Amino acid sequence: MRILIATVKVPFVNGGAETHAAGLRNALIAAGHRAEIVSVPFKWYPPRRILDQMLACRLLDLTAAGDAPVDRLIGLKFPAYLIPHPNKVVWILHQHRQAYDLWQHPMGDLHAQPHGAEVRDAIHRADVELLPQARHLFANSRNVAARLKTYCGIEAAPLYHPPPDAPRFHSAQAEDFLYFPSRLNALKRQRLVVEALAHTRAKVRVRFSGPDIEAGYHEECMAVARRSKVHSRIEWLGTVSEQAKRDLYARCLGVLFPSLDEDYGYITLEAMLAHKPVIACADSGGPLEFVVHRETGLVCEPAPRDLAAAMDELWEDRDRARRWGEAGRQRYSDLRIDWGTVLERLLQ
Amino acid sequence: MLKINWFSPLPPAHSGIAYYASQILPVLAGRHEVVAWTDQDQVAPEFSEMVTVARYQPANPPWRALNDADVSIYHLGNHGGIHGGIWQVSRRHPGIVVLHDLCLHDFFAMVFLRTLERPDLYLATLERWYGEAGRHDGEAFRSGGIGAETMAQRFPLTREAVWGSLGVITHSRSALDDLREKPASPVAALDFPYTATPEARYRGWLAARGAASGPPYRLVVFGYLSRNRRLGALLEALAGLGERQQFRLDICGQLWDESHIRMEIDRLGLNALVNLRGFLPDGQVEQELSTAHLAVNLRYPSMGEASLSQMQFWDYGLPTLVTRTGWYASLPEDAIAFVRPEHEVADIQAHLRAFLADPAAFRAMGERGRQALKKHDLGNYVDAMVQFASSAVALSPRVPVLELAGKIGHDLRQWLHPAASDYLLERASQELFTMCVGKADDRDS
Amino acid sequence: MKVLILTSGVPFIRGGAEILAGGLCDAVCAAGHQAEILTLPFQSCPPSRIPEQMLACRLLDVTETCSMRIDRVIGLKFPAYLVPHPRKVIWLLHQHRTAYELWNHPAAGDLIHYPDGPVVRDAIRLADRTFIPEARSIYTLSRNVTERLQRCSGIASEPLYNPPAGASLFYKSTPQDYFFFPSRINPVKRQWLVIQALALCREPVCVRFAGEADNEAQQAECAKAVRELRLSERVEWLGMVTEERKRDCYANSLGVVFPPVDEDYGYVTLEAMLSSKPVITCVDSGGPLEFVVDGQTGLVAGATPQALAEAMDALWGDRRRAATMGETGLQRYRDLKITWENVVEKLLC
Repeated sequence: MRILIATVKVPFVNGGAETHAAGLRNALIAAGHRAEIVSVPFKWYPPRRILDQMLACRLLDLTAAGDAPVDRLIGLKFPAYLIPHPNKVVWILHQHRQAYDLWQHPMGDLHAQPHGAEVRDAIHRADVELLPQARHLFANSRNVAARLKTYCGIEAAPLYHPPPDAPRFHSAQAEDFLYFPSRLNALKRQRLVVEALAHTRAKVRVRFSGPDIEAGYHEECMAVARRSKVHSRIEWLGTVSEQAKRDLYARCLGVLFPSLDEDYGYITLEAMLAHKPVIACADSGGPLEFVVHRETGLVCEPAPRDLAAAMDELWEDRDRARRWGEAGRQRYSDLRIDWGTVLERLLQ
Repeated sequence: MLKINWFSPLPPAHSGIAYYASQILPVLAGRHEVVAWTDQDQVAPEFSEMVTVARYQPANPPWRALNDADVSIYHLGNHGGIHGGIWQVSRRHPGIVVLHDLCLHDFFAMVFLRTLERPDLYLATLERWYGEAGRHDGEAFRSGGIGAETMAQRFPLTREAVWGSLGVITHSRSALDDLREKPASPVAALDFPYTATPEARYRGWLAARGAASGPPYRLVVFGYLSRNRRLGALLEALAGLGERQQFRLDICGQLWDESHIRMEIDRLGLNALVNLRGFLPDGQVEQELSTAHLAVNLRYPSMGEASLSQMQFWDYGLPTLVTRTGWYASLPEDAIAFVRPEHEVADIQAHLRAFLADPAAFRAMGERGRQALKKHDLGNYVDAMVQFASSAVALSPRVPVLELAGKIGHDLRQWLHPAASDYLLERASQELFTMCVGKADDRDS
Repeated sequence: MKVLILTSGVPFIRGGAEILAGGLCDAVCAAGHQAEILTLPFQSCPPSRIPEQMLACRLLDVTETCSMRIDRVIGLKFPAYLVPHPRKVIWLLHQHRTAYELWNHPAAGDLIHYPDGPVVRDAIRLADRTFIPEARSIYTLSRNVTERLQRCSGIASEPLYNPPAGASLFYKSTPQDYFFFPSRINPVKRQWLVIQALALCREPVCVRFAGEADNEAQQAECAKAVRELRLSERVEWLGMVTEERKRDCYANSLGVVFPPVDEDYGYVTLEAMLSSKPVITCVDSGGPLEFVVDGQTGLVAGATPQALAEAMDALWGDRRRAATMGETGLQRYRDLKITWENVVEKLLC
């Protein structure tokens, strides 16, 4: 089949969505199809621009490429998933969250901008009217599916996919550190980890890796670490190579992923692939679809003392930590998180 | 010089427009490169010798060949059998539409209901221009509840015929006003083309008329005589005229209801004065018109179009009674005797009395009619047509852009929230407008 | 600077424009900036799709990304170059050619086969006239394109040449007994003209063709012509070759014969010059004429089999002259400053 993947590109910003699209494309090609990614540029401010770009997507023609038809269009992100096609499958990574769960939320922007309400209404209506036109509707995670159901009344089946380079993850003897790989910003909550370290019984050590993407946040965390005198137990590794990252996963005692309301969370899956337990928070969203409390890791309240207690549990019982890690790896297999399953469902 | 695709009925089709084409095309072909396209089974051989003729099938026109021309000109009239194929091509291949009739319900009924067998399109078209009422009456028409004449008056469907065209030519200034509405194609009104008979022959006719000077004076009515030709009013007016013996009336042409007319003539006691001549062959027409004194060319209601027969009457220098409506209302006051639709009988009688009082004045009116024909010169007409076509073609980007606007409107209705529609429609319209006409310094004024 | 390169492409098809965009992107980064290519999908059939996608481009906003300014946008192809931006530079590879000089081309014309072809063609022309001048600078692939842009749209522009891919890897070696003609095999490139010319040569001229035919019919036609003219001994069809093999063929050729009709640019000419080989081309070949100097770096023949045959005979019979012309060609290439550095400097200034 000839398959196009429609997604959005924010110029000069690379994120999970690009990786996801590339993974899907590669899997399709490996399965013998011809597949390509079509990216539409997206700028979501000022709000009315969003309307322009929604219309632009409706005007694109991906039903054929040259002389031959395009058999299927897989739409991944708003507004690219609005592009019309008679055989469209939508696999929602995100809707435009600022119009939904981030409306009136400190992390959102739309509610505070001129014409925000009108554009929010327009996004709602477009999603409600046009998403059901797809032959099949999937969501990146139960979290995303639940949001779609709550706000738009539309059903979508969760469809998980493997993180990039899944086969390359490996496991090794656990060493004395917990690992938290992620871009540094408020939503990821590295700061919460730093605060929790002040309350641990054991001398828990943590390694953070990932780029600074929010001005001042890294400095804020380091200041908190110094104030609570836990800075010597923290290593800030910055951006590391993929291989180095996999190595850190392999050697850590466990993985921290206490971020707020994640849509999905490759980190949880990467930890499972490395046979390591995961600590997440009750409001972390995505990770909770994978972490089973006290079987593959721990789920705690998003408060410093609770997180500290969880970190202590792993630190002080290495055997149990290892067992939970193994259980995590088993759960990953049981969930059939592989591209074969994805393709089977997308191309039915 | 342009390369032109011409679509119209051609001789020997029974259509005044075929006659018109046979007059225009040789002149046009003398100045430009013309291909006359036809879906008729037959084309008169002498015509094929004058102008290049090519054949097409309405179901599958040869777009590649058509696209070699600079412009296509389509002639539309009310007859679905004759103009159906032409209209079908015009819809897909934008060009200049020349409207020979303005009330086109008969045309669309035949094309949609009989030729294409698409009642859904028929009803959708009525709804598109006239709303729910149009669809409703269309359904009634199909089941025989409403007659064709009523439908023709209520739903002329003129704009359907010209939708998506590059430009529209009519021969009637009143039609011009009707069609100048958004979204519009450029529209022009040209003087109906007619080549006057040479002076020498005309002098011969004047002599003949002079010899047959009367009284009694010969009144003449010509053509396809349906109810809107106001024969009833004419007969009544004549019957009510004290001086009626001074007149004779020749009714020449096909009557819509001959028995009814005969009964009227009987009832009004006009048997001695009125002669039903039937359809006259060409040779007798000349005899008839050259010796007539006054033509009666009433129409009410008018379908708006120009009248070839009026040109002919003027050619013969015949003063004429016409109804002040539609195209006729724009004729020069001093070359016509007007009859008001709401005072037919009285006005006819007034003119007849005026004629008796001063026949010379009416002869002079006829002469002025003959002079008025000069404006209708074929060469001028052809040049005006081509000039209009060229300027309309320069505006052609309008056509696909407007079609796109329609498509967008349709799509947006599906998913655009009303709160956002003002903004987005305005935004899209801005860009579409620029795509239609360019930016200020590029535009023709 | 953040530089966004905007082009249009048909999914699953990768051609010269994609390669050029890639070269440009690399060159911009090499000059110390951040560059990205954004390829907007473009489906040109049926014609009514085209105004839709023109409007889609007009509605996009690439002025900023996450509150960072996008400093420069470089538009390469229709309709991507319609996307608005206050600091847009157009480096025009092509306008939409079937709305212009290829409108009624027997093989390439496409719009002309549709009932609404003419009005869409007119809309494209109006859009070009209206929106191309929005750019702060307009460059083109070659003088051929510049002249066409002036003639068809009344817009002034400057040719800006770019080097062929792998320019530094071309080399010269001992000439053997063949002319080289690497190109897609189709009527526009005119392999048929060379075959017919071969039949009229006095010398035992040989030609090696490399490249794939656009379709089987093309290939079959060429093979048939060779058979009928009994040229099988003198013609070799290499098909698709690796870049390395191609460079070797250049290096060992006596010269290059490249007589396409109205070529917009013609990397082949430049590759020949980089390999120090003379180029035989035709008076109506377009792009190559901007580089080939008749009698000095090659020969410009009339577009007839006879004239082409004479040109091939001339070089075949005078190897020294051919070699000298090749050297002159290399020098001319250098003098023309066909470098990515130059391209980047012009596009970003």
